[in-house]
Amino acid sequence: MAELLKISDLHVAFPTDDGLVRAVDGVSLTLNEGETVAIVGESGSGKTVSGLSVMGLHKKGAAQLSGSIVLKDGDRNIDIVTATDEEIRLLRGRAVAMIFQDPMSSLHPYYRVGNQLAEGYLVHNPGQKKEARQRAIEMLDLVGISEPAQRADEYPHQFSGGMRQRVMIAMALMNSPRILIADEPTTALDVTVQAQILILLASLQKEFNMGILLITHDLGVVAQVADRVSVMYGGRIVEQGSADDVFYKPKAPYTLGLLKSVPRISTHGSDRLKAIPGQPPSLINLPTGCAFAPRCEFASHAAGDICANDRPELLGTNPNHLSRCHVDEAVRDKLFVTELKEVRS
Amino acid sequence: MSNVSALRRAVVISAASALAISAVMVSGATSASAAVTPKTGGILTFLEHTPRLDHYDPSRIYTGRDLAFMNSFTTRTLVAYNPVPGAAGASLVPDLATNTGIPSNAAKTWKFTLRPGSTFEDGKKITCEDVQYGVSRVFATDVITDGPGYLQVWLDIPKDKDGNSVFKGPYKKDAAGLAAFHKAVSCSADHRTITFNLNKSVADFNYLGTYGVISPVQAKLDTGDKYDLKPQATGPYKIAENSKTQLKLVRNSKWNKASDPVRTPYPDEVIIMFGYDEEVIDQIILGDTIPTAVNFGEPLSTNNDKFFTNSTFKNRRMNNPDPYARYIAFNVKAMPCIEIRQAMYYSRNAKALLDYAGGTTYAGSFATGVISPLLATDYAPTKVVGPGSADFIPEGNIPKAKALMETAKTKCPADYKKATETGIKIDVRQSVALNDTIPIDTAAYARAGIKVVFNPISSGYYPTVMNPDKQSDLSASGWGADWANASTVIPELFATFGGFNLSQNSGDPAYKAFEDGVKQAMLTTDRAKQATMWKALDVEAMKNFWVLPTIFGKAQFVWGSQVAGVFFWVPQGNPAFGKMWVNN
Amino acid sequence: MLNFVSRRVFFAIVTLLVVSAVVFAIFSLLPFDPAALTCGQHCTDQIIAANRIKLGFDKPLYIQYFLFLGGIFLGRSYGTGSAAFSCPAPSFGYSYNENACVTDLLREALPVTVSLALGALIIWLIVGVSLGIIAARFKNKWPDRVGSVFVLLGTSLPTFVTGLALLIWVTIKWKLVPLSLIGYTPITENPYKFFQFFILPWITLAIAYAALYTRFTRAAVLETLGEDYIRTARAKGVKERTVLFKHTMRAVFAPIITLAGLDFAGLIGGAIITETIFNLPGLGRLTLRSTYEFDLPIVLSTTILAAAVVIIMNLVIDMLYAVLDPRVRI
Repeated sequence: MAELLKISDLHVAFPTDDGLVRAVDGVSLTLNEGETVAIVGESGSGKTVSGLSVMGLHKKGAAQLSGSIVLKDGDRNIDIVTATDEEIRLLRGRAVAMIFQDPMSSLHPYYRVGNQLAEGYLVHNPGQKKEARQRAIEMLDLVGISEPAQRADEYPHQFSGGMRQRVMIAMALMNSPRILIADEPTTALDVTVQAQILILLASLQKEFNMGILLITHDLGVVAQVADRVSVMYGGRIVEQGSADDVFYKPKAPYTLGLLKSVPRISTHGSDRLKAIPGQPPSLINLPTGCAFAPRCEFASHAAGDICANDRPELLGTNPNHLSRCHVDEAVRDKLFVTELKEVRS
Repeated sequence: MSNVSALRRAVVISAASALAISAVMVSGATSASAAVTPKTGGILTFLEHTPRLDHYDPSRIYTGRDLAFMNSFTTRTLVAYNPVPGAAGASLVPDLATNTGIPSNAAKTWKFTLRPGSTFEDGKKITCEDVQYGVSRVFATDVITDGPGYLQVWLDIPKDKDGNSVFKGPYKKDAAGLAAFHKAVSCSADHRTITFNLNKSVADFNYLGTYGVISPVQAKLDTGDKYDLKPQATGPYKIAENSKTQLKLVRNSKWNKASDPVRTPYPDEVIIMFGYDEEVIDQIILGDTIPTAVNFGEPLSTNNDKFFTNSTFKNRRMNNPDPYARYIAFNVKAMPCIEIRQAMYYSRNAKALLDYAGGTTYAGSFATGVISPLLATDYAPTKVVGPGSADFIPEGNIPKAKALMETAKTKCPADYKKATETGIKIDVRQSVALNDTIPIDTAAYARAGIKVVFNPISSGYYPTVMNPDKQSDLSASGWGADWANASTVIPELFATFGGFNLSQNSGDPAYKAFEDGVKQAMLTTDRAKQATMWKALDVEAMKNFWVLPTIFGKAQFVWGSQVAGVFFWVPQGNPAFGKMWVNN
Repeated sequence: MLNFVSRRVFFAIVTLLVVSAVVFAIFSLLPFDPAALTCGQHCTDQIIAANRIKLGFDKPLYIQYFLFLGGIFLGRSYGTGSAAFSCPAPSFGYSYNENACVTDLLREALPVTVSLALGALIIWLIVGVSLGIIAARFKNKWPDRVGSVFVLLGTSLPTFVTGLALLIWVTIKWKLVPLSLIGYTPITENPYKFFQFFILPWITLAIAYAALYTRFTRAAVLETLGEDYIRTARAKGVKERTVLFKHTMRAVFAPIITLAGLDFAGLIGGAIITETIFNLPGLGRLTLRSTYEFDLPIVLSTTILAAAVVIIMNLVIDMLYAVLDPRVRI
C-alpha cells in the first residue's frame, strides 16, 4: 500500500486579538491508498483545521503553519506547508479533494449544479468545456443521481439534502483525486441518508483506490468505515491506532469518555449514558500539563501532580496503538476494560 | 435685508432734490464711464440666485430691479427716468411719448402723445389703442396679478357696491364695463394721443408712466397668464429664450434708434443666468472667471470685505444707499399703551444690531423715520427718533425706557403685565441670522424689564402678517417709495386705505386727525407745500410710535473686469443696466 | 409571472392613489389659503375669491382631487373668455407661478434629473464597488485603510459642501471644467457639452454614494468570502481572482443592484441639493421652489412622480431578482 499523505508534527496557530490560538499542536499521521483514516474529536479539537491544512485552505498570514504535510502527486512529493499558493491550487481538486459538512451552503446558490461540477474539471483541464460537461453528467450518474443530464441544469436548491451531498461528492471526484478529505460528510443528513452516503463513499473509494481522511465527531460512522483512527483533543492527537484497537481497547481516558457517551439502543435508562464532565480547553491558554487532566476521572491514578504539570507524550507498548496518558498503561488497560464492559453490557 | 427683497417696490428721486442727492450718494465707479467711448457687441451676463424673475409681463412687474432691467432693454413706457449718473438720472424724459405728460383739470386729466415710428418686435406700429389695451389688462385682477394697483384706484371708472371697478378687464366680454373704461382711458382719432381721466387730482400721475402697467400690448397677441413668459418687446432687445436656466435677450431688429431717445444698446446679447448659488456667484466675480459677468443681486455679506477692501475691485464695485426704510411695525390694536411702545424703542440696542448686519459700511444708517433720505424732497430727520432726536442713544436709553415702563405700570397695568410677564410677540422672517439677532434683542429689551418672544415665519411672511388675525404684537418690515413722492409711503403705511398698513392704528385716538392730514396732503398739488406736509406726517407717525424705525439700508453691487459703463441709477436704486457695455 | 406582474401593477396603482390623496390632503389642510398666495400686496378679498374660483379651490376637497385625477386622463381647461387655455392630457394641473402646464414642467425637468441620477449611479457603482472589492481583498492593509478614510469623508461631508467646493475650486479657481453658461444641454444635442455640464454634479453625488457603496460592498464581499461555497470553490482549485470576481461578486451583485435601484429611484425625487448648487433645472429644484411657494399642482405632481418611480423601481427590482437569484421564483 502506497503512502499518499504524511503529516509530521503539524502545528497550526491563528493569531487573534486575545492571543495565539493553537488549533493544531503537533499532529502526525499518514494515509495510504485505499484506506480510510478517521480523525475524531469534539468541535474545537483541531480536526477540521487539520483537514483544511491538507487542502492548503488556510490563508497565509491568518494562519501560522509549521511541520510538514507531504502529499503524493503522481511521482512527486509536495509539502503543503512550504509550497507556493499556485502549487497548492493546482493540487486542489485534482490530487486532493474535499467534501464538507453542509451540502446546501457548500454549493453556490446562483450557479447550475452541472456548471459547478464542470468548473472543477475546467480548472485543471482548461478549455475542455465539452469534456467537462460530459464528465459532470457521468459523475452525477456515478453518485446515483437519476436523469443526470437534466439535473445538471438545475440549481442546488432544487436538490434534497442527500442529493446535494451526492453532488458534492461528484464534484470532489471530477478529477479522480487520490486523496479525499471528508469533513463531517453525513452530519447534516438524515440517518437513513447517512448510511447511503457512507456506502456510496466506500464503493467509490474502491473504484478510485482513494485514501479517505474522514473527519467526524460521530464514532458510529467511524466504526462503520474507518481502518485507522486518530482521536484529537485540544489540538493534539491523544490516541492513534487501528479502528478495532481504539474501539475495543481504548487507551486514552478521553477516548473512553467518548465511547461511553455514545448512545446505544440496547441501553435502558438515561443513567447509562455518560457525558464527559466539564468543558474542552481554551486553545489560547492550554494547560501546562495534560489538556484533558481537568476533566479526567483517572488523574488520581497517576503519580503526584504530574497530570497537571507535565504534558504526556504519545506512547505505547504497541507501536501501532499510541496514546497520551501519565497513568501506567497496564493500569489503564485493566480499568478501562471494566468500564467498557459496563457500557456495552 | 431679506425682508426687503420680497417687497415689490421701486424707488425714485425727483429732479428737484439734486443737491440733496449728491450729498447722500456714495461714490461708485461712476467717473470712469464718461471718459471712455462705449463699445458695441459682446455678451453681457447677469448671474442671479433665484431660478427666474417674478414676472416679465410689463403689467405685472413691480420689483425695482426687474423693472429697471426690463425697461432698460425690452420694454418701453410712456415716460422714463433719464439713464445718466447722479441727480439728473431722476428726471423724467419722454419715451414712447413726445412729452412727459400734460396735466389739465387740476391734474385730473393727463394727456400723452405717442412718438411716431415706434414698433413692436413683430414690426407692428405702436398705436394709442395698444397702450389703451395694455392699461385695460390690469383690471383683470385675477389674471394680471402683482403689478402696482394705482390705476384701479385712480382711473375714473364707476365702482360697484363692493368698491371694485365695474370694469373687469379685457378677457370677459362686458360691453358696459369696456365702455366705462374707454371713457376713462381714451384715444384720439389719429391714434396718437392717449387721455387718462382720473377720479381725483394726482399731481405726480406721470411717474406711474415709468411702470409697465402703462405700456402697449397687442390685443391679438395677448395670451393672458402666459403672456408673462414672452411679452412682445418694444425696446432694442427682445426675449429669444426664457427657460429654466436663462433669460436671453437679443437685438430687436424692428427697433430703431430714431424713435427712442432713451436707450443706447451696446452688447449683442444680454443674458441672465438663473439659479446660481450666491457663494458661487461671488467666487465667479472674485476670480473674474467670467469677466463679462455682473452679480444681478448683492454679494453675500461675508464676502463684502473681499470686494470693498481690495483695490483690485476698485472699478468693479458700488456701495450705495438702498431705497428701503426698515422698521418694526407695532400692532397698535394689540399694544395700545404708547409708553410700552416707546420703552421698546428706547431699550432696543440699535447699534449692536446694525453692527451685526455689517455696520454703517455695508448695512446702512440709523433710521429717523419711514421716509428714506433718497426721497430728498420729502425727507427730513423727524427729531423724534434716531440721530438728531433728544434722547437717542444707539446702544439704548435704559433710564428713559425704565421710566416709561414705570409710567405704564400704573397707566396701563394690563399691558404692563403682558410686556413683563407673558411677553410681547414679534413676527420675523425665518433666517439663519435670527440665531444671532434674537439673543441681542432679548437681552436689550430685558434691560428695561420687557420680555419678548419671537415668531419666526418660514413661508408666506407678508400674507401672514398682513392678515390682522394672524399678526402678532410687532412685525418686522421694510418699505421703499414707488416714486419720488412720499405719497407712495405715508398713506401706504399708515392710512387705513393704504396698501401696506401693518400698524392696525385705526383705533388710535390720534388716527383721525392723522388721516385728515394725509388726505389733505394727497390733494395738494403744490409740491413744496406737499413735501412740508409729508415731513410733518412722518414726525406725527413717529410721535405716535406706530412703528419702530430701524435702519435706512445700503446695497452693494459687483461685476467682472470686462464690464464697463456701470453707474448707480438713482431713481431705480440699481445700476443703469442699459448703459453697461462689454470690453473686447 | 404574469399573475405576479398584474398583481403588483394593481397594488402600485392603489399605492399611487393613496400617496396622491395623502399629499393632496396635507397641502389642502395647511393653514394657508392658496388663493391668497396667488396675488401680491394689493390683494383684495374680491380678487382672492375670484382666484379661488379660477383655481378650483372653492370646490369641496374630494371634487378638487377628482378634478386633478380626471385631468391626468382627460386634460383640463383654465380661465375664461379670451384668457382661457387648456393643458392637454395627461395634465397634472397648471402652475400660475410658472405660467405653465405642470406636465410640460415635468417633461422639461425629468430628463435633467434622470441624466444626473443615471450618470452619478454609473460613477458611484464603478468607484464604490471597485473600492469595496479592493478594501475587502486587502482587508486591514493600506488599501483598506485608504478606503476607510474615503468612506468616512464621503459619508460625513454633506453634498452641499463637496458640491460647492468642487464648483468653486475645480471650475472657478482652477478652471479645469469650464463654467457652463448655457446650462443644461441634452446629450442628443451635444454629448461633449452634456458631459461637461454634468461631470461635477455627477462626481458630487457619486462621492456620497460611492462611500456608502464602498462600505456596503466591502462588508458584503467579506461576508461572502466567508461562505461555505467560496471554500468549495477554492477546494476545487479555482483561481483566487475567479473566486473573487466570479463566485463572490455573483452573490454580492444582487443586493448591490437592489440598493442601486432604490437609491436611483430616491434621487429622481430628491437630488435637491446637488441640483440647487449646480443650477440643474431638474425635478428636485422644481419641487423645492414650488414647496416654498405653495405651488400645490407642482408639489403634488413631483411627489406623485417620485412615489411612482420608487414603486416602479421596486417592481423592476423584484422582477430582476427573479432573474438574478434562481431561488426566487415568481
